[in-house]
Amino acid sequence: MAVGATAINILGFVFLSHAVYSAYEHSLLPSASQPTPPSRLLPSFLDPRVNLPLDITLETLFSVLLLCVGVVLSSPELKPIQWNVWAGRLERSKEARATKEVGVGGGNPFAGVEERPGFLDIRGQRKEFARWVREGER
Amino acid sequence: MLDERELATRPIVQDSVQHNARTVSNIRALTASLFGVAAGTLGLESIPGFIFYALGTAVVSVLIFAFKAESEPKAYFYRPMADLWAGDMFGGLMSFVLTWTLFYNLAKA
Repeated sequence: MAVGATAINILGFVFLSHAVYSAYEHSLLPSASQPTPPSRLLPSFLDPRVNLPLDITLETLFSVLLLCVGVVLSSPELKPIQWNVWAGRLERSKEARATKEVGVGGGNPFAGVEERPGFLDIRGQRKEFARWVREGER
Repeated sequence: MLDERELATRPIVQDSVQHNARTVSNIRALTASLFGVAAGTLGLESIPGFIFYALGTAVVSVLIFAFKAESEPKAYFYRPMADLWAGDMFGGLMSFVLTWTLFYNLAKA
């Protein structure tokens, strides 16, 4: 995809340069300064009054469209914003599980969430909390 | 209230939201100056030039929708209407006017 996008960009850039240079050369002709006849379809304030031959106009528009497609294709991929989609993709990806250094990466990216202590003394914790509350009241 | 509940049940990833917004605004900035080049070369003036810009940004929105968002803007933008279709519509306007006037002068004067 990246090679195709670069090729489209280069092609569009060549076409655009050619179109702009053609428009410049056309503006040097003595006949170029004559005003264009007003459009019959559009009202005067919407009339674009393009004073160029049709092929240069079409080449400009075509090259800009080509460059737009190239720019959109060559930009980085969007990332999903929903947590479950994003996390699922991360969990399935090879990079997140690959070991990068000693102790870095490798295994489950959600190890911190999934690996919890197997036994918690809930009653002990409650007693501790109750004692703390009682001491705070005093 | 409903929004908050929705966020609690289906949380969104802030990193991805920022990444997507940055990508879209980069595309918009680049294409806006390209539209300026085209508008100046064609010699558009006043209102037709701004209409050209509006049409161009609409085309870019459709391209992002088709190629980048895989026709599913809900998966990539929190508010598709604001972030994809209308967002940054005027962010590229300044660079558009800049290249528009530059190329108008180069090709016409």
